[in-house]
Amino acid sequence: MILPPHIALPAKKRPVAADRTPVYAMVGNPNSGKTTLFNALTGLRQKVGNYPGVTVEKKIGEAFSQHGRPIKIIDLPGAYSLAARSPDEAVLRDVLLGRRSDTPQPDRIICVVDASNLERNLYLVHQILDLGRPVIVVLNMMDVAAAAGHRIDAAKLEESLGVTVIPCEAVHGKGLVELRLAMSRAELPLARHRWDIPAPIAAAVADLQASLAQNDGRLPLVARAEALLLLTDFDTVRVAGSKPLCARTHEILAHWRARWEGEGTDWSATLIRSRYDAINQLCTGVLRRTREEGPSLSDRIDAVLVHSLWGWLFFAAIMAALFFSIFTLAEYPMDWIDAHMAALGGWVKGVMAPGDLRDLLTNGVIKGVGGIVIFLPQILILFFFVGLLESTGYMARAAFLMDRPMSKVGLHGKSFIPLLGSYACAIPGIMATRTIENAKDRLVTILVAPLMSCSARLPVYLLMIATLLPSTAVPATTKVGIMLLMYVLGTVGAFAFAWLFKRTLFKSAPPLMIMELPPYQRPRLKEILRQMIERAWLFLKNAGTIILGISIVLWFFTTYPKNPNPAATPDAQIAYSLAGRTGRILEPVIKPLGFDWRIGVGLVSSFYAREVFVSSMGVIFGVGDGEDNTAAIRDALRSAKWPDGAALFTPLVCFTLMVYYVFAMQCMSTVAVVKRETNSWRWPLFQIAYMTGTAWLVCFLIYQTGRALGF
Amino acid sequence: MPLCQLAAGSTGRICEINGDESFAQRLREMGFGEAALVTKISGSTTSLCHVNGTRIALNHDAARSVLVELLPSGAR
Repeated sequence: MILPPHIALPAKKRPVAADRTPVYAMVGNPNSGKTTLFNALTGLRQKVGNYPGVTVEKKIGEAFSQHGRPIKIIDLPGAYSLAARSPDEAVLRDVLLGRRSDTPQPDRIICVVDASNLERNLYLVHQILDLGRPVIVVLNMMDVAAAAGHRIDAAKLEESLGVTVIPCEAVHGKGLVELRLAMSRAELPLARHRWDIPAPIAAAVADLQASLAQNDGRLPLVARAEALLLLTDFDTVRVAGSKPLCARTHEILAHWRARWEGEGTDWSATLIRSRYDAINQLCTGVLRRTREEGPSLSDRIDAVLVHSLWGWLFFAAIMAALFFSIFTLAEYPMDWIDAHMAALGGWVKGVMAPGDLRDLLTNGVIKGVGGIVIFLPQILILFFFVGLLESTGYMARAAFLMDRPMSKVGLHGKSFIPLLGSYACAIPGIMATRTIENAKDRLVTILVAPLMSCSARLPVYLLMIATLLPSTAVPATTKVGIMLLMYVLGTVGAFAFAWLFKRTLFKSAPPLMIMELPPYQRPRLKEILRQMIERAWLFLKNAGTIILGISIVLWFFTTYPKNPNPAATPDAQIAYSLAGRTGRILEPVIKPLGFDWRIGVGLVSSFYAREVFVSSMGVIFGVGDGEDNTAAIRDALRSAKWPDGAALFTPLVCFTLMVYYVFAMQCMSTVAVVKRETNSWRWPLFQIAYMTGTAWLVCFLIYQTGRALGF
Repeated sequence: MPLCQLAAGSTGRICEINGDESFAQRLREMGFGEAALVTKISGSTTSLCHVNGTRIALNHDAARSVLVELLPSGAR
């Protein structure tokens, strides 16, 4: 067989296929089930969800062919078109065009198509066929299509496209064997589909294609595809790692654009229309609708859930359910962990002779790490709820509802998806901003996302609420109310700063939003459970390594040097220690907020992560404690005093501390992610400054006003 | 009339897309181009529309830049 020129050509770039692992790219529209398919093929466990933007970066996995040979698969973010408008779509475009230096250019492409929406999904396929690579088209969600009354003749589609077409239901594992077989074939048929470039732009495409092949070293067919793309891609979205085009190509492009503008030719619309015409022709005979489309179940649910009144009530009800379950459901596992930690501490005390080592174990390790681990149930409940929202398709509805309030601050509803995700953790939230088209809007969203109260704040809030209201007689509603207040405060703060930033630093035209609302799905509990287990493991690993380390270091600093007076009280000992001495240097800065140097040490140590505050309090207020050191941290906090004998953790101070954690930027991982996503140190540093600055100012106002009012 | 003024439940045919070029391009690429039929599901500021079997949400500014002609009810 004679290979087509673009495959046969440069032998040095394409070694013989037999001795290297073939690379497949997995592409398709958002929510077409690429990652589900990727997980099924590779056995990996990438996160899947029912909202656009779950996958925002390429993921590489390995599968095995029918003959046991390894195959590399790259899972790519979803896109509607190769003409990228947002950073996640740019990843797809650049990997396919071989612009990314860190990723091998894929040899073959798997196009995942949502069969229930054939025409629109074929638009991307149509662009990809232009690349002249071997393509496998996977018609995913055939069951959904059938339920909607779409009859699809896959054999006919295969015949007219010329490439392999495989009907499939990735969620149920149907069609996987056929797909694996097709992927194992040594040779795949190339597209037979011929499509004529519309006459008004054909000359320009030829010019650009020649320049791309000559000056930018593109293979002929890739050059043609990229030429077509350059006409519709404004090339504004660039990601790190993409090679720029040469000057000559830019010149040609500018020349043609100027000419068309003069003539009044709408080249982009012409191109799109001609593609859709070709697709419509393809679909005749392939797609048959057996019944007229009425409102689907999703439409009927949406009539309520995006309703301007019922929608908001439902949203409020979900949030209320979340907070109540955090307080009521979590109590039992918490008590269980608490009791075991206390028993462990007691046991260590019983078997070991008094001394520094025993002190390190009971006060440094058990009080520090144990104090944090008991909050695991709450964190998991939070992740369960967010997982539920993500897998049902509700995220996009929340974004829809929020569009109006968001527009008041100059952002659009899509920005709310990262913000809602940040309730669980700001890091995936910040990653999800990659679906936002406008660079300025994306930056604003990144800057305010950490103000949404994340799961790491939960332990701090819960500890403070427990110190504030130790009695079990206080109804859960009061505790929920205080916590809700913190979440509201953070959310309002995020909106206020977004408004401020959009008016000052990042002025831009009001954004235009277009967002697809995916059909509702039954929540995939297995998937949610898997995410929760992953999260729990991460949390425990963190607690067992870094938080343990911080606790031990902190124990060391609070224990040495030893107070020469052996009869010194625990307070006198800690004041004499290294931590005490350095802490007092810090005290003047935080005293106006009602915090003493011991709280200050907690604030500094929790810069690594907010939950460290709880373990630090455990260590600091547990050190040198007498016999009764198995009591809960909250009791130690309640009995803590200023040197003059006044109570340290007054209700006002507890409240102020919570507010401090609402606003302050206390998370190293977030700093690192913001640095990576914005590609500079400028924004993470700015974020630390503005957030922690605000925290100080707001706490100052609250504490001083509270004092003046006599609290 | 602009899409934002289309009443909930009624169907229109898109006749013109104005405004930002790259935005208009994406709308067309999503099958939301000229001659496509849209049915408004709900919304006055943020619109939820049915186009080619998908639910697409547009914010107010976006819906304002899409011009539709109202089709008599039942034409879909």
